Amino acid sequence: MQTTHELASDRAPTVAFLQWWVLARRLIRPAWRTGEIFTALLAPAVFTLGFYVPLNLVMTVYGHGLSSYAQFLMPMIVMQAVAFCAISAAFRAATDARDGLDVRFATLPMPRWVPFAARIAMAAHRAVIAIGAALVCGAVIGFRFYGSWWHTVGFLAFSLLIATALCCGADLLGSMSASPEATTQILVLPQLIFGMVSTGFAPASQFPGWIQGFARNQPVSQFVDGLRALAGDSTGNAGAVDLATLGPGLAWAFGLLVVGGGLSWRHAARRSA
Amino acid sequence: MTTIPRPAATRHTESLRMLLPQTVIQTRRLLTRWGRDPLTVMQALLFPALLLVMLNAVLGKQVSSFAGADALYGTVPMVSLVGVMSGSLAGAVTLGRERDQGLLSRFWVLPVHRASGLLSRVLAEAVRILVCTLVIFAVGIALGFRFTQGLPAAIALFAIPVLYGLGFATMVTALAVYTAKAALVEFVSLGSSLLMFFSTGFVPLAAYPGWARPIVEHNPLTHAIDTMRGLSLGGPVRDPLLATLAWSLGAIAVFAVPAAIGFRRASRY
Repeated sequence: MQTTHELASDRAPTVAFLQWWVLARRLIRPAWRTGEIFTALLAPAVFTLGFYVPLNLVMTVYGHGLSSYAQFLMPMIVMQAVAFCAISAAFRAATDARDGLDVRFATLPMPRWVPFAARIAMAAHRAVIAIGAALVCGAVIGFRFYGSWWHTVGFLAFSLLIATALCCGADLLGSMSASPEATTQILVLPQLIFGMVSTGFAPASQFPGWIQGFARNQPVSQFVDGLRALAGDSTGNAGAVDLATLGPGLAWAFGLLVVGGGLSWRHAARRSA
Repeated sequence: MTTIPRPAATRHTESLRMLLPQTVIQTRRLLTRWGRDPLTVMQALLFPALLLVMLNAVLGKQVSSFAGADALYGTVPMVSLVGVMSGSLAGAVTLGRERDQGLLSRFWVLPVHRASGLLSRVLAEAVRILVCTLVIFAVGIALGFRFTQGLPAAIALFAIPVLYGLGFATMVTALAVYTAKAALVEFVSLGSSLLMFFSTGFVPLAAYPGWARPIVEHNPLTHAIDTMRGLSLGGPVRDPLLATLAWSLGAIAVFAVPAAIGFRRASRY
């Protein structure tokens, strides 16, 4: 009787929360100690330097429709920072799966969502830092928020939502492949296709005709358009903050979150069985 | 009961005369290994090819309009050189792995000429660079890139990535045998992306702000790209060619001895 009682108390929500916190700290602390978190700060800086400096004049001469190329590029700097976090999340999940840590965790008396939730907490923590770094980089090159304060809050919240959703999907891929190197190499592919062929670098109208439809409607463009509208612009051309602009991006992000989270749940269940 | 005769070397095999066939065998081993790893091939061929198509689709029109010439004549050489650099990095990582698995020390006890190990890597690297460059230029031609300077110039053009790549590979190998793998990969990939963003292959020199121009002008990638542009579209060849030669041969001269010593040390690991 005593044993069952103890087992039951192990499953109490507060204990699960503590377990989650312990596992999240296991990921967060070494990242700070080894300076791994430093790369989350460096990635947006390198991206800003690499795309803004060469392209500013070229795109300004050709025309992009906003007051400055910094204003135009900002959502892409955030997306790049977020993509970097997703790749790190995939790497972490794949390392844990390869090392057999997931199987070990599955034998421990804790709810099966705890290791997954801990990894996502780490990813979100990294995303907050990376988005912060992206905003500092943007401010340096001349990006400003022109919308009302709740648009700015919306920008930050939407960025974090996208980050969490992408990290969820990346975590699932990493857990399933259990190969850190292969996963990070494969993930370069979507980053290249969805990142480059989006409205983040140039307006969709400047793409060749055969690819315009894709460039306009794919999820990264929807994210970029939503963020751009929330950031606003002095010219007023950034797009209206309404359901037509934000809806598709929000739908993609929530969809990815639900599907990625659900499949991770199932994956964890199968492993522990 | 039959006894299988033990293979016996009838003569001394660590001779200079046997160096060439031994090198060829080891080169073939490296290339076979490379070709059978789908991820490495994808990274070396598919990613640069895709990057080229993307850059051309997304920014080709704007850069061409700014430069007054087709941006492809900068993008195609640039992407081929970026592919060469990431391939060299993958090669250095493989080298580190073979050291850790003890393969290099296994080879060290074989009765082969000592130089064949390192020579085969150089040769395999050159073949790989040539294959990657040919693929990238084939994609470039499909997109509209043309060799307007005749056949000799076109052939000379393909020597540039080989030269540049061997210089780069010597440097990466020297770094790889002395440093930790993870730090090396991050450091080198970051460095080569920055080289790419600050080269005349990405956008023309005039597009950069004043403070960045000296960096762009003295970037080794810029010289190699300008040489290849001169050999395809036309324009000055001599100065960028001399600069490319200086950078590449300089890198080989500086890093060859540390790389060779490091390789020897790694083999006895």
